[in-house]
Order: sequence, then structure tokens, then C-alpha cells
Amino acid sequence: MSEQQDYEPRIVAFLCKWCSSAGSDLAGVSRIQYPANATPITVPCTGAISPMYILSAFNKGADGVLVSGCHIGDCHYIEGNYLARRKMHLIMQLIEFIGVEPNRFRMSWVSAAEGAKFAQVITDFVDDLQPLGPQDKLKKAERV
Amino acid sequence: MINVQDIRDTARDMLTKGEVRAVIGYRRGSRGMLAEPAFITDPAQAGDLVWDPTCFHNLSLYLVEDRKFLTHVRKTANAPIAIVAKGCDARSIVVLLQEHYFKREDVYIIGVSCEGAGVVDERKLAPHLNGFQATNAAFDGDDFVFTTAEGEKCLPAREVMADRCLECRIPFPKEHNIVFGEDKTGRQLAEPFAALTRFETQGTAERWDFWSHHFDRCIRCFACRSVCPMCYCDECVVDSITFPVTTETTAEDKANRIRWIERSAVRSENITYLMTRAMHLAGRCTDCGECERACPVNVPIRLLNNKMEREAREQFGFEPGASIGGPSLVASFLDNDPGQFIR
Repeated sequence: MSEQQDYEPRIVAFLCKWCSSAGSDLAGVSRIQYPANATPITVPCTGAISPMYILSAFNKGADGVLVSGCHIGDCHYIEGNYLARRKMHLIMQLIEFIGVEPNRFRMSWVSAAEGAKFAQVITDFVDDLQPLGPQDKLKKAERV
Repeated sequence: MINVQDIRDTARDMLTKGEVRAVIGYRRGSRGMLAEPAFITDPAQAGDLVWDPTCFHNLSLYLVEDRKFLTHVRKTANAPIAIVAKGCDARSIVVLLQEHYFKREDVYIIGVSCEGAGVVDERKLAPHLNGFQATNAAFDGDDFVFTTAEGEKCLPAREVMADRCLECRIPFPKEHNIVFGEDKTGRQLAEPFAALTRFETQGTAERWDFWSHHFDRCIRCFACRSVCPMCYCDECVVDSITFPVTTETTAEDKANRIRWIERSAVRSENITYLMTRAMHLAGRCTDCGECERACPVNVPIRLLNNKMEREAREQFGFEPGASIGGPSLVASFLDNDPGQFIR
């Protein structure tokens, strides 16, 4: 088996408690098959995600970072996802700007009823990350 | 053309009448032609103030320092503090006012317009002086006049001006109490974001080669943070030694504190530091260019801040330091913000 086939991308997924997190749950209880590469981290709202979380995830060795929240207009806190949309746009531009592959960061809107969409988002993300190989640009070097 | 005597007279007047407790301005420094920040409390010293192409410091930093000092000694100011501010400096003050760092009546802004010029970039100037040190610099219309041991040398300003000044869109302090010089807003010495546009024509791999080289060179001296008027947090998220330690802080507290990044100057940590800084300055940075000038290893920090500034301007129609009552970039939104990137 070649090394490329051994490689499984590690995704850190920041999921909104009110929608995407429940969406991932629905994907689970509906027994939808999707790759197990994502480590979910539930946050109260996408608006609560500091860009530092994303940089930190890459710094600790994530191959891809997913931010998923409620559709525009559906935020439990009325405007959290609008604020997230702005911040995530900026951090995405910055990551791209310094020469990291744009496919390593992704944002999606997944509601609590969209289990199938959640599975699709993860599947697509893993497919896109697979050819990029391990992320070592922002990753902290191993201690010797 | 600004008559420096006007600035001195204003400063002397206000100090004599006791309208301000100090004037922060520029005076002749001890190293060649360079000006240095001056803190004048005695009206007799107001004659020391200068205004020339080497006045590149963003003095609003010292308003922040003053505020921190007053908090530390638990005193309130009895009079405002006057400050000499260029266009970019005045915008920094506006951002600080937006964030309620101090009150408008706590500061008296003596605005100076850069008119058709700006400040000099020493690195650009060096090749023009045949190895001599300039001992004096002065404005002369659209030219700079430098005095060296060889005599006077007149150079077109745009050849030796700092990039940020060439690209500056508003070289005039809109927010001011008194202002000297003409408003030349709308002058176009260079295309705004010219350096950034040139850089962005490169592909992902070239951009990474460029940045990884610079990220490797950063020594994390935090000069960019120290010189920035916007980096006023007492507790800096990327620097664990700034975390407060009180008598109540236990060893366990200290051990369990979140260290987002290490303090060691290695590439991955430098990236996280510089990117976090760029994010924190998004919509607040007024492009005074001090971080890049202060950097001892010449990391092009301005490019990162410029990128954020342009993104904010083009995608969100946001202009940093435009008005005191205006919204902040990341705490506001528009219904039509771009969202095509979201799946």
C-alpha cells in the first residue's frame, strides 16, 4: 500500500450547538455513511468562533478546518452567523494570502434537519483534502 | 506649506494658558536627521518642535501610554493632552475614540497635513546620498531637501517617500481641533494598495515561498506590537508572559492557562502570531506603517495589514478611522456581505 493511500486527513469541525451539531447527530441516527475524519467541537454559536481557533487548529496539526452554522436568518442569537460570515471571510482570505491551499478551510450552513447535507459536506471536504496531503505549513514542529 | 513656527506658537500658547497639560510632538533627535517624539510640558521648550519628512512616528501610541499610566497611578487628567497628528495618526486616534479608549475632550489634535508629500523611507534614501549621513531634512513643495557633509541635496519626494505615503488616500487629518496645511485628499502619487496588488499576482506556491522565508526570519521581538497604538491590550493572547499574575493566582492556575501559541520564535508560532495580529488589526489598522519600520528583520508586516484593509474596503465597504461614531468591522455586518464561499 502506498503512503498516499494511508493518509487520512484530520478535520477539526467547529459546529454550532443549535444546528450543525444537531445536524451531525441526525446524520448519525439516520445511519448515513460518511467518512470519520472530522473531530467535532461544539460551540455555542459560529459567531463565538475566534479566528484564533482556526489558526490554533492548524497550528496543532489539523489538515482541514470546517466551520458550520445556521443558515442566514436562523441564528439562535439573531445575528451570530452574520458576524461569523464576516470574520470567516477575513480569516479565509488571510490564510489564502500567505499561500496555504484555500481548500483547507471551509464554511457551511447546515441546519438541524440537514443530516444528509452534513454527511455530504464532510464527504466533499475529505475528497478535496485527500490530494493536498498532510498540512505542514502551519503545523507546529514536533519536539525533539 | 506648513510653517513650523505656527505649530510652536500654538503649543506655547496652550501650555502657557494651561489649556493642555502636555504637547506630544516631534523634535530634532540625536541621530542624524531623524526627528524623535517630544513630550513638552514647559512652554519655553515649545520652540523645540519640528515638522519635517522624518516625522514618521505615530504619536497616538503615547496617548495610549498616557492613559495606561494614569490608570496605573489611579489619577484622572486635569486637562487634555495635545498631540501633533498626521492623517494616518489622526485616523488611529479616531479608532481609539471609537473603542472608547479615551474621551474626545481628553485629547487636543493639532493636525498637520502631509499635503503633496509624506515621510521619508530611510532605506530608499540611502542610495541617493553617496554614503553620507543626512543631518537635516526639510519639505520643499513636492521635494525633500537633505543636508549632508556634501551640501544640500534636493530630491523629488516620490523617489524617497515611504510606500505607505505614496499609496495614502487621505493625507489629511479629518478629525482635528486645529489644522495646518492644505487638504490634498485625492492626490494620487501611486495606486492605493499598489504593493499588495503586485504581490497578489503571484500563485499560491510563490506566495508561500515568500512568506515562509519571512516567517522564518521573525525573531518575535514584538517591536511591531510595542510600536502599534492599536495593540493596547495589557494581556496579549499570543504572549503568555503578559498574562496577569496576582496574589490569588495559584500555581495550578498558571499551569492550566491556555497558551494559544508558544513564545519560541519558530515558523509555525511566528505565523500564528503575525496572522493573529493581522486579524486583530483588521478594520482598525490605519496603515501608519510603523510596524514595518520598527521591524529589525524587515518582515513585510504592512502587506498583511493592507490585505485586511483592502478586503474590508472592497467586500464590506469599510474604511478604518472614518468617523468616531462609526461601527467596528468585526462587530457589525451587512445583509449583503459576501457569502458565496459558504457551502
